[in-house]
Amino acid sequence: MGLPEIIRELRNIAGPGSVLDRPEDLMLYEYDGGVRKSTPGAVVFPQTAQQVSAIMRAAAAAHIPVVARGAGTGLSGGAICKAGGIIIAFSRMNRVLEVDVENLRAVVQPGVVNLQLSEHVSHLGLYYAPDPSSQKACTIGGNVAENSGGPHTLLHGVTVNHVTGVEVVMPNGEIVQFGGKAAESYGYDLTGFFVGTEGTVGIATAITVKLLRKPESIATLLAIFESVDDGARTVSAITAAGITPAALEMLDGWTLRTIEAFCHAGYPLDAGAVLLIELEGLREAVQEQAIAVSEVCLQQKAREVRRAKNEEERALLWKGRKLAFGALGRVAPSYYTQDGVVPRSQMAGVLQHIGEVSKKYDLIIGNIFHAGDGNLHPLIMFDLRDRDQYERTLAASRDILQYCIDVGGSITGEHGVGMEKRDMMRQLFTDEELDVMISLRNVFNGDDVLNPDKMLPVPRMCREITGPSSNPVLVQEGM
Amino acid sequence: MSTTAVVTRVGRELIAICGAEHVTEAPPERILGCAPSVAVRPGLAEEIVAILRFANENDLTVVPAGGFTQQQSGNVPAQIDILLYTSRLTDVEHYDPGDLTIGIGAGSAISQLSAMVGKDGLLFAGDPPLPGRATVGGLLATAMAGPLRHGFGAPRDYCIGIRFVAGDGRTGKGGGRVVKNVAGYDMMKLMIGSQGTLAIITGASFKLFPAPRQTRTFVAHFSTGAEAIEYQRRILRSPLDPVCLELVSPEAHRLLVPASPAGAAWSICVRGAGSDTVLTRYRSELGPAVAREMDGANELGFWRCVADFTPLACEKPDSLLLSLALPLQEVQPVLANLEQIAASGGFTLAAIGRVGTGHLLAALWPTSGRQAAKSDFIAALSALRARLPHHSSMAVLYCPTELRSETGPLQTPTHLESMRAVKRTLDPKDILNRGRFPL
Repeated sequence: MGLPEIIRELRNIAGPGSVLDRPEDLMLYEYDGGVRKSTPGAVVFPQTAQQVSAIMRAAAAAHIPVVARGAGTGLSGGAICKAGGIIIAFSRMNRVLEVDVENLRAVVQPGVVNLQLSEHVSHLGLYYAPDPSSQKACTIGGNVAENSGGPHTLLHGVTVNHVTGVEVVMPNGEIVQFGGKAAESYGYDLTGFFVGTEGTVGIATAITVKLLRKPESIATLLAIFESVDDGARTVSAITAAGITPAALEMLDGWTLRTIEAFCHAGYPLDAGAVLLIELEGLREAVQEQAIAVSEVCLQQKAREVRRAKNEEERALLWKGRKLAFGALGRVAPSYYTQDGVVPRSQMAGVLQHIGEVSKKYDLIIGNIFHAGDGNLHPLIMFDLRDRDQYERTLAASRDILQYCIDVGGSITGEHGVGMEKRDMMRQLFTDEELDVMISLRNVFNGDDVLNPDKMLPVPRMCREITGPSSNPVLVQEGM
Repeated sequence: MSTTAVVTRVGRELIAICGAEHVTEAPPERILGCAPSVAVRPGLAEEIVAILRFANENDLTVVPAGGFTQQQSGNVPAQIDILLYTSRLTDVEHYDPGDLTIGIGAGSAISQLSAMVGKDGLLFAGDPPLPGRATVGGLLATAMAGPLRHGFGAPRDYCIGIRFVAGDGRTGKGGGRVVKNVAGYDMMKLMIGSQGTLAIITGASFKLFPAPRQTRTFVAHFSTGAEAIEYQRRILRSPLDPVCLELVSPEAHRLLVPASPAGAAWSICVRGAGSDTVLTRYRSELGPAVAREMDGANELGFWRCVADFTPLACEKPDSLLLSLALPLQEVQPVLANLEQIAASGGFTLAAIGRVGTGHLLAALWPTSGRQAAKSDFIAALSALRARLPHHSSMAVLYCPTELRSETGPLQTPTHLESMRAVKRTLDPKDILNRGRFPL
């Protein structure tokens, strides 16, 4: 079956108005938040798990690659389809199926927007904790695929810590359930394994997530420093004082000024760095911790520590942080965000290294850190039309990630491996360790129909990998 | 190696891999009465690779072992060719208190790990039974969690990296040593709770927490389980965020504190952490239901006993010990069902658990002076299974030996055929813990 036949089949399955195949429509789906592009053959908008199952069966039979897509906000190319493949877009599966207040769970379709879930349950005093910066647009389904984080994951954990169950459509069309509403399910933890597989194992069609009670009290502090070094040292000093903030973010001076010019969040224009620190919990505990954190900051040479007096001031401080990426768009035609992670004690060193990389490659690099968990987002400014700049950007980015690996860190903390960092996986894992992962992918996705060419690199050696489908797949370097 | 033992072909091969001093023919250990042919203590992951390859080539079964604290669960093994101890894998792979992480070998005892990080004011969140013997590998393989689970999460929440040798002899790895990491599949999740049926865990990395500077435990008493659960739900709806929140039934209390008076009440035990001001707030929120407070050594001793409930319950003759993972709202109905099953079947029920996370441990044993027939146990189990709520899991942690093969399949909402496919992929010849934890 060729593409035209498949498109006809997709229309039969999902309805005539649920498939896009005109070039001008497909162009909107050829990119995500990263830097790569690839044009799909068709985009289909299913409304039920049964339709997803039928689409999967048709695509698998025709050996056409399939990629599930939420809002396309991902930064690693995870939602880009192999040329001519099918994108299953989840914008019409965007309902909150159930809010179970007694069990503190919600069951949602994958297309539900992250922030909308928290808004949906807000009147009950509840919220959904993982809060990626793109939370106004990104979907829970995409968050599950990438195991997304966000500023408040320091205290509450990332997506996988908040997903207890998932209904999955397998590449063969079978609809299966992993986990449920209980905090854990016995046997192999396939729910936990599934989260973060970047769409290479199956497609989630219903997701059971934890809902948390809103804290009684929140304190948001802005600590202002003359240098990033002082800021970095303060991060360690806060944890050494026995305090785990809900969020602990750092922005360097250049980034601060750029954001301030864009959205007037009230950030100081002459600072070297700021820490945005949030504490939450019992009123008494938050009050004591806020005092303790202020003292630690001042001991570590903070020029000033401001505390948001009300919800409005708090929202303003966070607005700057969450709009940072948009603000940077004003400075250069393009920017490249990296997502390296270092052990927390290596913070000052990696900042120094990024400074050197900026000089070496002659590029402006802004820094936004989830400092509390060592997750850095260096933002490299460049012009995509300038080939030389583009090449230098990629080289600078690799240089930074290499440093992260060398000090015992990782190439991605929350954005995923996707296409761009796939080759660097070899520096974190041996061929055999990758082979174990590939064999597990083949358990579910033996013909590599789902999101091919993502996350797991092709092993160096030519070898046979046998999937449960009993069709040995010959994988070869360069295929 | 004992000088009197005959050196078998398997023994010879293991000696070649690990050295004679690390191989014991016909060791004294028994798993539910089954005697291993040979025990081996490899010192390196490479040696485990060699052992597992040899076992695969010769169709030998391998049982991984840590501190031998949880080996009494599962079915009776038909045969144990090699008992593989991880006790020599104790290297600290990375530890900088400023990172709040540690990487350590699977054979390390939990109490050693806790003491090491405790010196730096940090807390390791795993508090399994018998921590002096229980190992890191065993904690992960059994997904064992103690009372700290309520405040700090389960192993799946704080384990950030894992190293293992799969049943087929391939070495695997997941995560690393940083707290946020999405490079590659989350192999930690697959290994945690896999009961040693997929791989032999050789080492792991963990997130650590700043240790609370001060804690205090408040104990509230109730005349029924339902009232206790209702109170617990009130705490969950309050702004309090205790580090432990435990339900203890009257019989469970007697098991933990044998000197306690007969007719003791149901209790909810709340362990708060923070300054005097914070603990005063706890007192006012918890209200007049609190009958007693504990701190210091008294408090530590109490929580140590709570964590050791499992081995204490197994000591009761003919006990059946169940572990249940439930949606929060189902804890009370399941508890009521257990009480009813115990009453009608002539059993005594001891229940304990981190009920704020939906976790319940229930031990049933024949009420004194009564002999329970095998059929009574089976009737109790099937009554429980028949009314197990949707979304729930149930596992038999311990039961009389003659009941082992009749406890029925694992109760879980997760698709069983997918689990079986994973098992076939990592351990195709089913050499690891064969027959003990059937899916």
